[in-house]
Amino acid sequence: MIRLRPRLSQASNTRREALWGWLFILPVTAGFFLFVLGPMLASLALSFTKWDLLSPAEWAGTTNWHSIFSVSVVHTPQARDEASGELLFQCGRHRNVPASELADWQQRNDERSGEPFECRPGYPRDREVLPERFGVVSEVSLFGNRWLLGARDHVLWIALFNTVYMLLAVPIGMALALAVAIVLNQQLRGRNLLRAVFYLPNVLPIAATSVIWLWIFNPEFGILNHLLGSIGLPANGRWLSDQGTVKPSLMIMGIWSALGFQMLIYLAALQAVPAQLYEAAVIDGAGLWNRFRFVTWPSLSPTTFFLLVTGMIFGFQSFAQPYIMTRGGPGNASRTVVMEIWKNGFADLEMGYASAQAWLLGVIILLITVANFRLARRWVFYEHEQHV
Amino acid sequence: MSEALRSLAPATQQADARRQAQVLRALSYIGLFTLAFIVLIPFFWMLSTSFKPARGIFVMPPQWIPNPFILDHYFTIWQKTHLARGLVNSTFIALSTTVGEIATSTLAGFAFARMRFPAKGPLFGLLLMTMMIPGIVTLIPTFILFGELDWIDTFNPVILPYLLGTPFALFLSRQFFSGLPRELEDAAKVDGASFFQIYRHVFMPQARPLVATLFVLGYLHRWNDFLAPLIYLRSPEIQTVSVMLARLVDFYVQDWSVLMAGAMIALLPILIIFVVLQRFIIESVAFSGLKG
Repeated sequence: MIRLRPRLSQASNTRREALWGWLFILPVTAGFFLFVLGPMLASLALSFTKWDLLSPAEWAGTTNWHSIFSVSVVHTPQARDEASGELLFQCGRHRNVPASELADWQQRNDERSGEPFECRPGYPRDREVLPERFGVVSEVSLFGNRWLLGARDHVLWIALFNTVYMLLAVPIGMALALAVAIVLNQQLRGRNLLRAVFYLPNVLPIAATSVIWLWIFNPEFGILNHLLGSIGLPANGRWLSDQGTVKPSLMIMGIWSALGFQMLIYLAALQAVPAQLYEAAVIDGAGLWNRFRFVTWPSLSPTTFFLLVTGMIFGFQSFAQPYIMTRGGPGNASRTVVMEIWKNGFADLEMGYASAQAWLLGVIILLITVANFRLARRWVFYEHEQHV
Repeated sequence: MSEALRSLAPATQQADARRQAQVLRALSYIGLFTLAFIVLIPFFWMLSTSFKPARGIFVMPPQWIPNPFILDHYFTIWQKTHLARGLVNSTFIALSTTVGEIATSTLAGFAFARMRFPAKGPLFGLLLMTMMIPGIVTLIPTFILFGELDWIDTFNPVILPYLLGTPFALFLSRQFFSGLPRELEDAAKVDGASFFQIYRHVFMPQARPLVATLFVLGYLHRWNDFLAPLIYLRSPEIQTVSVMLARLVDFYVQDWSVLMAGAMIALLPILIIFVVLQRFIIESVAFSGLKG
């Protein structure tokens, strides 16, 4: 190109371009400062205050953070009778059964159930051994010893445990999605239809699918128990109304909902794997498994990484599904961290405390993302590396 | 495998391989269609329940095809709740935020891809950082901010932040504009076109695939939003259909036929969009996922 313009105007052109450039990015940048960076810092500041929005905010120092991290592990051996030093047991509701009377108790029937008494080692009551105002997060009893994990805000730690527990649905779903994607990655009739069917649950509003699954999981009249019964499996699952099964139930729905997305991304990545790689593997005499192990899996590792990281970030912020389906119950068995933040912030108007909880979650997510990127260096294989 | 290679193998081995491939293919079909059927069961169950009389849902074993087949629950939902209004609200919110997001994000994406200005690199890095920050961290202060502005229970809090663009759309736009040929703006510059004219009349007409992708993904995403609408939209007149449906669960406890009719209404618009634009939506998701 021939430059006809004088130098002076070249400089003013550069300035003009800079001004227009800044103008074009102004809305997006303003959005970033107004709705991301600003609130993020404000949130950190708020976490050091006590504020219910009604009265003026009070500086609270590290009180909120102190409450969050007031955690203790208490070890208690089996209780003993103070006078005789005998070990104590608990039979049914009856505490403080001395070891000498144990055999006698085991002969008798529980007045409640009518069955023989079940006796186990007795321990002091939780509130006698835990610091004041602490609740139980988790407990382990082994060989006449008991460990209690207690915390001031025990519900938050339970919620964190639940959230992490339910993250297991991410790798499980990904494994299933990969299998489906590999099978679907052939010249099959109806492939597009199948792809659409698998993806459908992901595209529909989570509120609607949550209401549907609420009805599916209904213990008496839900279709799940009926279908299980009709193929000869136990049909008495309490699903969402049982502390033991509520998390797996939510995970089942979560996998159903995310499967299509993960499959779609895997399928797109599979189609990008160079055919020569497979041809070379076949010539080397590689069977189905070895082709998967040495060609497919390494080629897909960036995709696996992407799905894992986004799935975890998404999973850590799970809210709509447990909110609609269980409200965090039964007990606290399906409460998630975001539900806790929501409750503290918008139901109890504890803005300072909720901000601290939100920051805690944000930092956890960030740390896990960073850790994922670190680990990725070991196992993720990017195509351009092979040319280096 | 190439033909040359295949002809090297003895004939029997070829026949074996072909039979093995056929068996594998048949198994694939059986597996895939079974799974597809399982994936769809929740929808059959929803449909079936929504057309049953209230007492029919407690009949065991459950009837898949309702007899009698009634539409009453759809009328109940339509008349006794604001769900119709919710559909309008959801559409309005999804539409306006998506259009606004596309306008601001493509403009900034264009600038980051094709223009030179100081602090460009660091600014882009800063904006991309937003993608790494979990939304939950900003929730409480933004709520307080919107409270101060007296915007609680208005559309503003669920629309305005998106109008200023999203990092996802910005990232995708910049990627797209970076890939267009250099000659495009050179000719326009010689003609003395302004930067905005170049963006508007030279680049945007090329960006149809980008705009379509951003539109579909943004629209679906906004329609499915739950937490922010739940917090900000209090009165039924302005609630989204998702929030309304969640509230109905408390009103129609155990009235599963009505709730399933509600769920059906809440997902129908998206279902229709999906059926019509199925191929395009799937390609958009796959495309953006690979870029992400």
